[in-house]
Amino acid sequence: MNAMSNANARSGAHTQQQGDIVIKGEGVGKTFGNGSVVALEGADFEIKRGEFVSLVGPSGCGKSTLLRMVAGLIERSSGKLAVHGDTVKGPRSDVGLMFQRATLLEWRTALDNVLLPTELSRKLTSADYDHAEELLAMVGLQDFTFTFPSQLSGGMQQRVALARLLKTGADILLLDEPFGALDEFTREHLNLELMRIVADVGATTLFVTHNIGEAIFLADKVMVMTPRPGRLARIVDVPFERPRTAELQLTPEFNALVAEVRAVLGDH
Amino acid sequence: MKYPVIYRLGRFIPHMVLLALVLVFWEVAVARSWVNAFMVPRPTAVFDSFIRLYVTEQTIYRHFAITMTEAVFGFAIGASVGISLAVASAVNETFRRYVSPYAIVLNVTPGLALTPIIIAWFGFGIGSKIALAAVISFFPIFVNTLSGLTNSDPDRNELFRSLGANASQRFWKLQVPSALPITFAGLKIGMTTALIGAVVAEFAQATEGVGVLMQRFSFQLNMASSVAVLLTMSIMGVTLYYAMELLDDRLIFWRKDSGMARVGRRRSARVRALKAGSVVKA
Ligand SMILES: Nc1ncnc2c1ncn2[C@@H]1O[C@H](COP(=O)(O)OP(=O)(O)O)[C@@H](O)[C@H]1O
Ligand SMILES: [Mg+2]
Repeated sequence: MNAMSNANARSGAHTQQQGDIVIKGEGVGKTFGNGSVVALEGADFEIKRGEFVSLVGPSGCGKSTLLRMVAGLIERSSGKLAVHGDTVKGPRSDVGLMFQRATLLEWRTALDNVLLPTELSRKLTSADYDHAEELLAMVGLQDFTFTFPSQLSGGMQQRVALARLLKTGADILLLDEPFGALDEFTREHLNLELMRIVADVGATTLFVTHNIGEAIFLADKVMVMTPRPGRLARIVDVPFERPRTAELQLTPEFNALVAEVRAVLGDH
Repeated sequence: MKYPVIYRLGRFIPHMVLLALVLVFWEVAVARSWVNAFMVPRPTAVFDSFIRLYVTEQTIYRHFAITMTEAVFGFAIGASVGISLAVASAVNETFRRYVSPYAIVLNVTPGLALTPIIIAWFGFGIGSKIALAAVISFFPIFVNTLSGLTNSDPDRNELFRSLGANASQRFWKLQVPSALPITFAGLKIGMTTALIGAVVAEFAQATEGVGVLMQRFSFQLNMASSVAVLLTMSIMGVTLYYAMELLDDRLIFWRKDSGMARVGRRRSARVRALKAGSVVKA
């Protein structure tokens, strides 16, 4: 079904990566309503350690479905799916998730929201408080440690959610249109920070978006999906050096890649 | 304490003026016999009755205390049972299936129609008043708590699931705080209905309480005193309601900036102390 997926001896920008595969899908499919709705037709893909992979496509093409299967939140209907070599059977602690909505608990301070993942797995130590504060500083919220979510802007709330995601200690980060509800300026700014942060922590990232430029700009590899039925149409390598700056998006090479992805999507 | 006292008083003045105008008009209307002075007492007559009840004869206090006790105890029982059943129903699907039909039947049955039966069961004393107050305050508390506990945000449920939370963690850290605002809305309604239950049970059969007092005065066609007792009931209702409101504001602090500032400060001090403590130990 998808011959492209294995044909990538990547010249990745993440030089430190060993090239071992952390997420592997073979014919991963999902149907809803006893097979009446095909959300995703069998998808083949491999994601390597430290890679940043974008998942792009129009809404309804099965991006969230794929992400939620990787997260172990929904069962797949067909195919094989493995994370770190283990078949996915349910949520796991080395996979973290972030949504379009910040889903912060409004009765908790920013700090306590960041501490939630740890609190759910074991007793907190004072080192956890230090770590949470470092993470808040990393997302630029060092002055808002004891502020409550309703007192923060949408962008700041997503920063807290990002810090919370990092506090899980997961080395695989799944982000489902994390900045999709924010204005364009905030979104661009947060995208740049996200790139810096995931490179810092060396996480493997699966990033869902419906913005082609954003998908390419952030990623080492773009998985292009098409709707009706949801299908992984093509996997496109992104060769640009890191660190990247916003100016990259003005280059002809970048725009050629945008056109290539657009062409895949345009067939539908 | 955001606004200066003068400013807040200033906003109060138009209300006072309007109330004064209505009272004056009312007084004049009765004095000029536009309405029957016998059926509609003059404000000044009501005021006189008030003074007699509260100051000169001081008869009201005993009745006031009795009815308040009935309402508060009835409410406490209704709230305990309502919240317990709601929690059990939220936690256990089977339990909910078996309990909710009865809760719904109880809801559509006019609770006050139970008065004669409850008096037959619990007697003429304070027990039957507490029981009726409990029965009719139960339902709003049960329904609100249950819907609060079961309707937590799906995205947040998913978050907890992805973080590997167990049922008890999800209950205490997600469902309970999410349910608090709507539970409190139910408690406020329940508080008011408990007072209705107590008074109606007193109307039916009692020797003490503001309901009895009210009935006695109206049988004597002492309308001024009846209205004074009615106002007393309003005072009771407002007192109970604001007691709940106060608790509500304390507990659900995240709805107000002042509450968040207060809790944020406290949390900040706690975290600093915790870290200082661990440094000493280390
Ligand atoms: N729980 C569900 N039940 C039925 N259909 C669903 C469910 N979740 C998603 N779908 C369907 O699957 C398809 C893909 O959805 P989704 O993965 O959310 O798309 P995307 O995230 O790309 O917008 C859509 O047609 C959607 O209607
Ligand atoms: Mg989606």
